[in-house]
Amino acid sequence: MNPPRAGLSQETQWAYPKALSLKGIGLFCLIIAILLVTGRNVEMGRMVQLTASAVSVTATGQGESQVAQGLSKIGTSLWPLQISETTEVGRIEGFDRARLPWLAHIETRTKQTQTLNPDTLQMDSVSETAEYLVEPLGYLRHVAVKLVETLEIALWGTVIAILISLPLAFFSASNMAPNRLIYTVARSIVSFLRAIPELVSALFLVLAYGFGPIAGVLALALHAAGFLGKFYAEDIENADTKPQEALTAVGANRIKVLRFAILPQVMPQYIAYTLYVLDRNFRMATVIGLVGAGGIGQELKGRFDMYNYHHVATILVGIFCTVFVIDQLSARLRRRLF
Amino acid sequence: MTASKPAHVGFRAVSKTFPDGTQALKGVSFDVARGAFCVLLGPSGSGKSTLLRCVNGLATPTSGEVFIDGEAVTDKVLPQIRRKVSMIHQQFGLVDRASVAENMMGGALAEIPTWRALLGLYPDHFKTKACELLQSVGLSPEHLQRRAGDLSGGQRQRVGIARALMLDPQIIVADEPVASLDPRISQEIMELLRQAARLRGVTVLCSLHQVALAREHADQIVGLQRGALIFDSPVENLSDDDFSAIYDLEPLA
Repeated sequence: MNPPRAGLSQETQWAYPKALSLKGIGLFCLIIAILLVTGRNVEMGRMVQLTASAVSVTATGQGESQVAQGLSKIGTSLWPLQISETTEVGRIEGFDRARLPWLAHIETRTKQTQTLNPDTLQMDSVSETAEYLVEPLGYLRHVAVKLVETLEIALWGTVIAILISLPLAFFSASNMAPNRLIYTVARSIVSFLRAIPELVSALFLVLAYGFGPIAGVLALALHAAGFLGKFYAEDIENADTKPQEALTAVGANRIKVLRFAILPQVMPQYIAYTLYVLDRNFRMATVIGLVGAGGIGQELKGRFDMYNYHHVATILVGIFCTVFVIDQLSARLRRRLF
Repeated sequence: MTASKPAHVGFRAVSKTFPDGTQALKGVSFDVARGAFCVLLGPSGSGKSTLLRCVNGLATPTSGEVFIDGEAVTDKVLPQIRRKVSMIHQQFGLVDRASVAENMMGGALAEIPTWRALLGLYPDHFKTKACELLQSVGLSPEHLQRRAGDLSGGQRQRVGIARALMLDPQIIVADEPVASLDPRISQEIMELLRQAARLRGVTVLCSLHQVALAREHADQIVGLQRGALIFDSPVENLSDDDFSAIYDLEPLA
């Protein structure tokens, strides 16, 4: 052997890859071109212009801006939040005066109404006295109940999604599927489920199952099953093959290999995906409530259509708080599991 | 040289060509006697692993046959073969995130019904056996709950050996069992493997690349070079020149 020499031999060419290649610059220009064309189609220029004028109007207080007007209108109509609830006593079935709900009291209110007197054909001022049950935290409680219902819908949507996606994931992982046909069929089902947004399937499921949480749960479950099926399957495919081979060598079948060599490896990822799906299902559950699939969304839609914007504001704050709490809890849970 | 005893594992003109055209084995033939400790020696890429993987069907020879107890290893008899043959791996083949207890049960999966395996309801005699084996390889009860990934390399290979003994195999195939361990631990692991095999009368086929370890522990040494057998001999008949011959290669063209 020759001793190592400094300097390169002349016969072989050593060339380090260049940082900037012609191909790279071309690709960069192509991406910029695509962004420019698509940006014009979705009116990004106007967006910047409107936002800039809104900012300048807010800052200087001069001129007019459509965006600033709209936003301030929203702000003033949402504030203050609706916390209490007032119900006419006469409309409450089986009302028991001796046992009022927590913090509630009864108020007597007199209301002046103008009615047409049929005899004199003149407008009479009639004063009506009615008793009202006033619950200072009534609407807040109502929102909380609806939020819990939404959480229940999200939870069951997730549970059913897991049940559907586990067998689908097994068959749509190329290293586990018994044959090519089953693999293709399972993959197509997973893609199909993922391709249909919850809102769309909820529209149809409401027709089939009627208004209420069943349609919501199923709509969430079907979409999330497509999502989980894809990610579960990809994790099965990417799992370390050495333990799998070791178990195959001692005569374990596919299911045993999955349980002993793959499941322990993919478990943290599975929990992470599932927590994400739970979080996402909660947010989507509020959206599909809009089409009548139960939960806080249905309440939101109802209040919005009745122009009760103070109620809407309470609901929005409630949703935000719940999402925040779920996020904190899942982060804590994941830290403990990894 | 094995004329006195019937061959336990026999290789007959085993050749293996990979789909990319690499010829890993070129007509290898030799016999291993029952209860013998046979070491395959050879540099990286000499076909040691492929040869071992042909024994339990992880690889299939392109031509030639492997015999166990005079019966050819074919796909049809693989389930029976795999109950008789256990394997020890270079990278241990353990699931790092699973506990040592779970990993041990992995070695007995062929005998555990699928539903019991899925639910984790292992038969009591296997649980007892796992504990006994872990004790015999020098681990202590607190290791049972630990994740395999938290153990040291030597401890992991001890688990690997104990796992290989779960179903009382007749043959152990060890693919570079000490290649990822330091020299002192390698020595301990080889002694453990040797002792465990002798105690149970298990035939061992072990690939190594450390000549010193091979000379110390083997009954029989098989030398491989670029897929071809260059010697097959009881260890006492080999000279220093024989050993230096397998690593003294002319540079590859």
